[in-house]
Amino acid sequence: MSAAETIDVPYLKLSDPSFSIRSQEVREARARNWYARTPYGIAVLRYEDVGKLLRDPRFRQGSHAWPAHNQATGKFADWWLRMLLNRVGEDHARLRRLANPAFSPKLIASLQPVFAELANDIIDKFARRGTCEFMAEFSEPYATRVICALLGLDQSEWRNLADIAADMGLALGVTFKRDLEKINAATERLFDYAHRVIEERRTRPPGEDFISLLLQANENKDKLSDQELYDMVVLAVFGGIDTTRNQLGLAMSMFVEAPDQWKLLAERPDLAKNAVEEVMRLRPTTTWVTREALEDMTYKDLLIKQGTTLHLFAESAGTDPEVFAPGLDITAQRKPHFGFGGGAHHCLGHFIARGDMTEALKLLAQRLRNPRYEGEPLFLPDSGNTGPITLNIRFDPEA
Amino acid sequence: MKICVDLEKCQSHGQCAIAAPELFSFDAEGKLRWVKEPPVEQQATAEAAADACPEQAITIGT
Repeated sequence: MSAAETIDVPYLKLSDPSFSIRSQEVREARARNWYARTPYGIAVLRYEDVGKLLRDPRFRQGSHAWPAHNQATGKFADWWLRMLLNRVGEDHARLRRLANPAFSPKLIASLQPVFAELANDIIDKFARRGTCEFMAEFSEPYATRVICALLGLDQSEWRNLADIAADMGLALGVTFKRDLEKINAATERLFDYAHRVIEERRTRPPGEDFISLLLQANENKDKLSDQELYDMVVLAVFGGIDTTRNQLGLAMSMFVEAPDQWKLLAERPDLAKNAVEEVMRLRPTTTWVTREALEDMTYKDLLIKQGTTLHLFAESAGTDPEVFAPGLDITAQRKPHFGFGGGAHHCLGHFIARGDMTEALKLLAQRLRNPRYEGEPLFLPDSGNTGPITLNIRFDPEA
Repeated sequence: MKICVDLEKCQSHGQCAIAAPELFSFDAEGKLRWVKEPPVEQQATAEAAADACPEQAITIGT
């Protein structure tokens, strides 16, 4: 790195709890340069570079370094290092091949009536009142009950699982250090739950759900070990609930701020699928994903040393003015966003997330007319994994 | 059986090469290579690759 470069390259304080991915500071950095330096490596800011580096085989998924970088220890960190996202090569491929059939687009398409019934059932509970706390009353039960349906879990467990997922989700926020005890306790509860469910399921004939599929694979321990079986169930619960919960909350807040788009969506339910893409492009709950360099290399003007962490800013790429016209437009056909990451570790559950959010937005737009904020919504920091904490809204009550 | 890949849609995630390494791979330049007309016994493998593609860029024909 030359002295001249040091002066020109922006610096972003990623680890600062007040850092915002949507700040003017990041926008200016993106206009100045394709990357910025941070306390933990390089932040990649533009669409083209995020897309290229996301799938570059000279990098591995960077999340495995999270416990070491942050001196995080305990049940969560142990599981984190073992689970699918942090596996590489043939080991990762074996687990991914095994899980894929439970997340196939055909299977998910067949679940559309289940999603619709769940959404309507949940909306029924507050539609006549004309107000709701969207996160607690819709987003959380919906995201959790979809996962229950997918894993063949008892729907009455949803409250317990939602609480666990929310506590574990704190691990991906910038305030995780003060929450570490809570995070580890939640991880332990989820493992206890997974053990109980699997013991019980072994006594029943298999169905077509994810756990049945895993149990069949687990008959051959080389194909799927007991530990891998539990880790996978924990991943499905954790990975499926908190992300969808947050993403739906972000969607709702965006549409409260874009009433014409919400009205259009109510009139044109066929746009719901595209609305999900648009929401995830502009406000992805996973604001960035990481990669770690496996070798020394030069990318554009930058020497990247082996072991360097790249933070690929999905949000900043998705709003790159060189590629996207500004604003939320659910009728627009845009280039693919990076809200589900990309490459070998592309989100496994994306067909479910896309399918369940499409159905939810379609029905919400038709039933919650004229939504507006009731008081100020409260958000997690705009970094790491983000979303509303509380989102009180008012709308036209159903007759 | 024929495998078609819409290279306009393809984003080179490589999920097909994970799902069906015997049918899909990347060459040294990072270009996708695939078996265009595999034997019918590999139908299920080809479909697994098509299902796994995040962009749904792969179609299986006869």
